[in-house]
Amino acid sequence: MLKKSILFWLILSPLVVVILFPFGVMFVSAFRPREELFTYPPTWTFSEFRWANFAEMWVKTNFGQALLNSLYVSVLSTLLAMILSIPAAYALSRYRFPGKRAYRTFLLMTQMMSPIVLVLGLFRMMVALGLVNTLNSLVLTYAAFNMAFTIWMLQSYFSTIPRDLEEAAWIDGAGHLTSLLKVFLPLAVPAMAVTAIFGFINSWNEFVLALTMIRSSDGFTLPVQIYSQVAGRYQIEWHHVMAATMLATLPVAIVFSWLQRFLIRGMALGAVK
Amino acid sequence: MASVTISNVGKAFGTMNVLRDINIDIENHEFVVLVGPSGCGKSTLLRMIAGLETVSNGEVRIGERVVNDVPARERDIAMVFQNYALYPHMTSYGNMSFSLRLRKRPQPEIDQKVRDAAATLNLLPFLERSPRQLSGGQRQRVAMGRALVREAQVFLYDEPLSNLDAKLRVVMRTEIKALHQRLKTTSIYVTHDQIEAMTMADRIVVMNGGRIEQIGAPLDLYDRPGNLFVAGFLGSPSMNFLKGRMRRTQGKAYVETEGGIGLPVSAATAAAENQPVICGIRPEHIAIAGEGGLPVTVDVVEPTGPNIEVFFSLAGQNGSAVFTERHKFRPGDRVALHWQPEHANVFDAETGVRL
Repeated sequence: MLKKSILFWLILSPLVVVILFPFGVMFVSAFRPREELFTYPPTWTFSEFRWANFAEMWVKTNFGQALLNSLYVSVLSTLLAMILSIPAAYALSRYRFPGKRAYRTFLLMTQMMSPIVLVLGLFRMMVALGLVNTLNSLVLTYAAFNMAFTIWMLQSYFSTIPRDLEEAAWIDGAGHLTSLLKVFLPLAVPAMAVTAIFGFINSWNEFVLALTMIRSSDGFTLPVQIYSQVAGRYQIEWHHVMAATMLATLPVAIVFSWLQRFLIRGMALGAVK
Repeated sequence: MASVTISNVGKAFGTMNVLRDINIDIENHEFVVLVGPSGCGKSTLLRMIAGLETVSNGEVRIGERVVNDVPARERDIAMVFQNYALYPHMTSYGNMSFSLRLRKRPQPEIDQKVRDAAATLNLLPFLERSPRQLSGGQRQRVAMGRALVREAQVFLYDEPLSNLDAKLRVVMRTEIKALHQRLKTTSIYVTHDQIEAMTMADRIVVMNGGRIEQIGAPLDLYDRPGNLFVAGFLGSPSMNFLKGRMRRTQGKAYVETEGGIGLPVSAATAAAENQPVICGIRPEHIAIAGEGGLPVTVDVVEPTGPNIEVFFSLAGQNGSAVFTERHKFRPGDRVALHWQPEHANVFDAETGVRL
């Protein structure tokens, strides 16, 4: 058993290095004084643990505004996607209706298309709606892009909740809505939490759409704001860029590691049945 | 408490008819068991009575009220499900009180009723546990308790014991029967287990292929099955079926097998001379004959404890007999058997109907 797991770790270790390397560089660069950024040969040590990088970066890159924008877009788009996905997933797992198979295939197919292919069309649509350069355009598009996934995921979990439970509730005297609120949804909370986190992370990390839809810098979300510190500049403040990247990654990393046990359980649930 | 009347009820899923022309009158206080092989439509019929399936045609009445279009929650019935269907996020107490809370009953009344039901079912120490902390038998009791607190018009049971181990099943069977004798709530019980049907029912409804084969009191069905299906379905080990032709001589009737052996049957049977028939005889009605019995060869001997089951061949046909005596038969032994003519059933070989 122990031998086996050591072997697995050995096989996986190159992968671990590849994944951790950029984080290492990010971490080291974020805490270095500016002068040590380009020392040659490169080292992993630094002379000073410079918290001040973060304070300077916060002001200089207008990080607070971008953080608020990212939070606004991610939270609202996740909420919107969930509100619309729960009934859709419920219908898919509980009712027979014409076109059900086609609908499921359609959901799967939308997942096979890259958002980049659709960017032009979406941009024109937002122009027509008068939403270009507003955060709400991102809320709408993110919710739409996430929904295929969230519906699919919720549906596979909902199908594992025995129908008998709802039937028992009806016989006990509950209407459809009451049985949904008091019996079904409480049991679906883990799945909903997992799915919501997935949606949130997707929205948090999205770049191409945000770059396209948002024209003015005070509407930038974090990925775009950080990108704007690098693209088209004569002088790039790498220590600020890295400090900003780190701050942007941290909340997601924390949430993810905290919730990964639910995540794995949630995904396995759909698979087992 | 109420009667349940099912008139000309049918059920179709798309073009497939799973139930046809079902007519059952269930009286107030009666315990009726629907029994049949899996896929015979018994569970579907129960779900139609519960309001969980629509009625394609015909009429279901609870008491005087036609309930075809009444939703489940307004039918005033209680149901025990095969997999218990306990709400996993509630305690035993929460499960049992759910229906009363929905009806917004005052808290002292809820408490009283749940505690009464729990006391009846020996559940008082487990009220604060969640379903996953309970054993199979306890879960089953909570599911029963949830039905009990309702004081519903009709209790419906959908194979409630099939998830329990053999020993517990026998215990719960007796408990459910005792409970019914005390409460006298009209009950409809679905099972595929003919022993459950025999032991619990006031009346049994034997179903097969979406139809009712026969309705009657357990021992009536057992002793006078209306057709081959009912005869073969009830009883374990099941009834012997021996093919032959009807013969009558000197006021006595018998079924002549291919090898010319005469199987004694009652002269009262309606079968005509020379008609191809099947003689049905229960294994426990077969005894060892002194002189001039039916010659059989012993194939296999299975001691079950209370009985010895002997599988034999008679004129090229297989049969079995059950003896309480400790006979020392060996495979290959030649033995003479007989039975009382009135114990034998005669069925039409073509239609399978009792003659």
